[in-house]
Amino acid sequence: MKKVMVGNHAVSWGARLARVEVISAYPITPQTQVVEALSEMCADGRLAARFIKVESEHSAMAACIGASAAGARAFTATSSQGLALMHEMLHWAANGRHPVVLANINRSLAPGWNIWTDQSDSLAQRDTGWIQLYCETNQEVLDTTIMAFKLAERLDLPVMLVLDAFYLSHTAEPVEIPDQDAVDAFLPPRQARYRLDVGDPRAFGGLVRPDAYMEMRWYLNEALRQAEVVYEEVEAEWARASGRRYGAVEAYRTDGAEVVLVTSGTMTSTARFVVDRLRERGEPVGVVKVKMFRPFPSETLRRVLHGVDRVAVLDRNLSPGRGGIFAEELRAALYAGDGFLRPAVFGYIVGLGGRDVTPRVLEEIVARTMREETPRREDLWVGVSP
Amino acid sequence: MTQIRFAGRLPEEDLVTSGHLACPGCAAPLAMRLVLKALGPKTIVVMPASCWSIIAGPWPQSSLRVPLYHTAFEAGAATASGIRAALDQRGDTETTVMVWAGDGGTFDIGLQALSGAAERNENILYVCYDNEAYMNTGIQRSSATPWGAWTTTTPERHPEASPKKDILAIMAAHRIPYAATATVGYPLDLVEKVRRARAVRGTRFLHILSPCPPGWKYPDEATIELSRMAVRCRIFPLVEVEYGQRWRLSFDPAPPEPVGPYLRKQGRFRHLAEPDVAYIQREVDARWDMVVRRVRESNGASGDWEPATAIGVGGEPPGMPT
Amino acid sequence: MPESSSRVSPVAVSRTSTLVTHTGTWKYIRPVYRDLVAPCMEACPVGIDIEGYLNLLREGRLEDACDLLARENPMPAVTGRVCHHPCEVACNRRAYDEAVAVHAIERHLGDALLEQMPVAGAPRRPGSVAVVGSGPAGLACAYHLVRLGYSVTVFEAAAEPGGMLRLGIPAYRLPRSVLDRQIRWILGHGVALECGVRVGTDLPWPALWDRFDAVFLGLGAQKGRDLGVPGESLEGVWRGLDFLRSVNSGKRPELGRRVVVVGGGNTAMDCARTALRLGAEVTVLYRRTRAEMPAIEDEVQDAEREGVQFLFLAAPLRLVSEDGRVRAIECQRMRLGDADSSGRRAPVPIEGDRFTLDADAVLSAVGELADLEALPDDIARLPAGIVAGAFGETSRAAIFAGGDATRQPRTVADALGAGKRAAIGIDRYLRMVHGEPDRFPAAESLRYGPGGNLSATRWRGDDPIPRTAPANQVVRYQDLDLSYFVRQPRRAEARRGGGEGLRDFAEVNLGFDRETMFEEARRCFNCGVCNRCDVCLVLCPDLAIARTYSGYRLLLEYCKGCGICAAECPRGAITMIREEL
Repeated sequence: MKKVMVGNHAVSWGARLARVEVISAYPITPQTQVVEALSEMCADGRLAARFIKVESEHSAMAACIGASAAGARAFTATSSQGLALMHEMLHWAANGRHPVVLANINRSLAPGWNIWTDQSDSLAQRDTGWIQLYCETNQEVLDTTIMAFKLAERLDLPVMLVLDAFYLSHTAEPVEIPDQDAVDAFLPPRQARYRLDVGDPRAFGGLVRPDAYMEMRWYLNEALRQAEVVYEEVEAEWARASGRRYGAVEAYRTDGAEVVLVTSGTMTSTARFVVDRLRERGEPVGVVKVKMFRPFPSETLRRVLHGVDRVAVLDRNLSPGRGGIFAEELRAALYAGDGFLRPAVFGYIVGLGGRDVTPRVLEEIVARTMREETPRREDLWVGVSP
Repeated sequence: MTQIRFAGRLPEEDLVTSGHLACPGCAAPLAMRLVLKALGPKTIVVMPASCWSIIAGPWPQSSLRVPLYHTAFEAGAATASGIRAALDQRGDTETTVMVWAGDGGTFDIGLQALSGAAERNENILYVCYDNEAYMNTGIQRSSATPWGAWTTTTPERHPEASPKKDILAIMAAHRIPYAATATVGYPLDLVEKVRRARAVRGTRFLHILSPCPPGWKYPDEATIELSRMAVRCRIFPLVEVEYGQRWRLSFDPAPPEPVGPYLRKQGRFRHLAEPDVAYIQREVDARWDMVVRRVRESNGASGDWEPATAIGVGGEPPGMPT
Repeated sequence: MPESSSRVSPVAVSRTSTLVTHTGTWKYIRPVYRDLVAPCMEACPVGIDIEGYLNLLREGRLEDACDLLARENPMPAVTGRVCHHPCEVACNRRAYDEAVAVHAIERHLGDALLEQMPVAGAPRRPGSVAVVGSGPAGLACAYHLVRLGYSVTVFEAAAEPGGMLRLGIPAYRLPRSVLDRQIRWILGHGVALECGVRVGTDLPWPALWDRFDAVFLGLGAQKGRDLGVPGESLEGVWRGLDFLRSVNSGKRPELGRRVVVVGGGNTAMDCARTALRLGAEVTVLYRRTRAEMPAIEDEVQDAEREGVQFLFLAAPLRLVSEDGRVRAIECQRMRLGDADSSGRRAPVPIEGDRFTLDADAVLSAVGELADLEALPDDIARLPAGIVAGAFGETSRAAIFAGGDATRQPRTVADALGAGKRAAIGIDRYLRMVHGEPDRFPAAESLRYGPGGNLSATRWRGDDPIPRTAPANQVVRYQDLDLSYFVRQPRRAEARRGGGEGLRDFAEVNLGFDRETMFEEARRCFNCGVCNRCDVCLVLCPDLAIARTYSGYRLLLEYCKGCGICAAECPRGAITMIREEL
């Protein structure tokens, strides 16, 4: 069944099809449609979930953790300040190895108040131990929501799927809605490895002394290290049911490319459009879309960027005092490659706080990347006029 | 009844194990022990940061024989809400989900989540064991610290200057089905209240005064006696509140003991002068009057609701069954 | 996630309990369950495990309570009625509300014991013992000796056994049927009795020495003391004891209308109430005040209730006669002076303040004396009586003595206690004679508390009550945790007749019914002895106390030594001691 829907509703549909059991959320623009639709679904019985309308995002995540610890499939959605407020509990979910799924609508952080898209909220949570998946289309949002549960429950890790405010959240696109049967076959009810069980009483998360804490962190890191491979397996399985797959990293027209735009989120669609146009003009340009930010798919990126001369990383985010976070991560990934002919990485800060990143902006970036002799020491802020 | 015996009056099974890491004489493990006696093994405990985070034992140990989830300081009630939802989803409405929080996790940092859960009338039991300061971190003041008390952040020359927050009134204002106070000095009363709480659906709140030998600076063995004294001098009235409307006194210590001996037994009040003690007495009397007023006002509305009589309150309290 | 067989699991999930942590290493003091002694037991001249049987009653174990009582007291049906019960004066509960009515409970148990006559066993030990006198001391000694396995013969000069119990105590206090059954019950244990045999005349002393391996002298004090004022030989002047003996043996002497009883003890009360029953108007003359009266308070109250008048602070000066018969008694007004050797304030005459009281009869009840003239000289004595040691031993080997004939308070309870002491002494002596190892427990270790009487149970070493680390120390009121008690008045015994003028000798005090008896027994604090109330068990924050079959066990590997158990024990049965390093 195909349906035209906004990205937020694609999230709701994905959660519904995944038969989440407990939802706990707090409203924040631009996430509200997600919870509104889920409220409707719960109210009219289309979704047999318990929706806990908590008094804060911190409590939302705490409730999801509680539900997950008790064996339920738990879901929440938030954005920006809400995600920031959750921060403590994001660590809790990951260290506690609770497969909670969270949809984050990328939005900038105040002050001043700005409700438009910006990846700084989710990227600020990169060290919490969550898997992060950035989506490009509403179809991808729906598919990723469903896959996120499978991925989370296979690894006992929480998964954050990320979509741009308004460009996806409030933009309607046709979305193929998979059959419930197909989703059920793909995603059976959760079988928790550990859960709070009065028949097997155990304490979760008590005092861990230095002789064991480091091992537990090692386990967490190991689980995340496996996440890319497991994600590809999950996606392959989902592809058999749906015919769609995205990849942790997707290379678009990179054959013989001299310049590759590295993107994430909806900017990727714009980049595809620009690359198509430039290729028509014969310019050797490609796109690499980074869907999975955590774990950072370093090996895959080294592979797809092998032999590329110049890479332009588009960062709709900022680590103040350092620059774009994707560029930073990519540089680190490429540097770690042994005996690898490294491309020059050009970092561009774009579109913060929802500023439009147009084809024209991307064309300028490609042109500038080709023109520069070597990358600047610091990422270039595109279109800034202080 | 001429003497108070516990034999045969409390469930035999204990769900707390020895070897826990509470200080000698600590009321908190005793409170947990009594509460779990009343709740039984079908209980899941949610524990935000508190002394009990340590008392529960280091990994891979646990001092509880029921499932226990350690959660973040401010997240007790919310975590419990999620667990409750998950159990309900599985059709398990029998298991009690209990938050076990200290005064910091209840009066201060956890109040928002608690208020949220109470407003939603989550089907959980929230127990605050109140030792009147941040004891686990080294006796820093909380909003449960009484006026005049010494703590490491309210030194003797500038002791606690705010009155203790009235958490029971706050919870009563949420109109939850059941809120009550108890102490380990009256174990039968405490257990009876937990039994009552267990029988009710919705948010239930139990405030247990939990004397702390190192934090209050008194000898280890006086924990029970201080618990009783707190009740008898009306600093800690034993009450029950239904739906925020119907207030009942479990025990009316008439004539009450003065607050002086209770305060003087504790090193944290050592610096108080007599006028300070007199001031505390006036404040205690005023709050008692408020409680009595509410009890009186709800008399017409209480119907057939019987108080959890403070069975186990000895020493001839007038009006007590003998 | 990897399996949990790894050293560290991926998540902090517990897999064991804190029982692996032995927090007992933290402590520097530790509790011990240490049974102490209740003050009633130390105060009891008989030496009865009062707390023990009250606790058994609390548990509903009536038979066991009777058995425990009968181990020490051969005549509870009697003492339950006539004992001056110092146990109740010592009772810690007295400081809290009112003493436990021990005597009334004892009476109920005593009556219950009489429901079933014992079966005598054959003597198990070599040695036969003669007991001279069948009063409480003699019968007690005989009883304990047969229980210890000896062959015992009691010689009684009178036609019927019982001594002062029969001759001195009126039937309205001690019905003869009760006394008879109590004595039958004692004899039923295998005691041989020969009445109408006056030792010294009917059976010469040397013959007695020869026939028996040991002898107990329970001769009593049956000679009434004179008033020591002019006119004592007048008609109508009686020694109180003679008067009682006369009435108690069935006679009804003519006293006249106005009777004055001189004295403030139990004999005085007995005389007054007996005279009342013969139709007289009775006035008791006592030289001190009511507070100093040595009589049992209940007896005084009963006398008042029945219409006996009291005249305090007055002493007789002389008896006024008419036709050789007493007609009046001239008295001296007294006041209270400084305390005397008995601790009471001594009466001092108020010079010139005299008055005369009309009297058709005067009964003197100012004390009794032992008649020891017939006793062989080699048995040492003082004016107050035979000299007897801690085990009743006299100056002559194999001869023991006790009761009113020795220097001791002249009460039934003291007599029973002396009989028991001598029985233990005789057992000890005969064992020594038979060459058994002469290492016997010291008297101190056999006493209930440092000042109590000897315990037959302790002597035999067959205490049916499990004891934990007992210490012979009496529990004081301040050792108790009163938070665990609720004030409750002592139960009153049913009493016959509310008004004045009782004219018959039927029993006045009707005692407790069974339910009241059990209720009253539950008032006992059980001072110093664990009665498994579970206070310690429930309040231990470290769950370091475990239940055992008979009580509790400390789990010292977990006990942190907080002391809550000892502080909270309602009855002081837990003591904190320094941890040995």
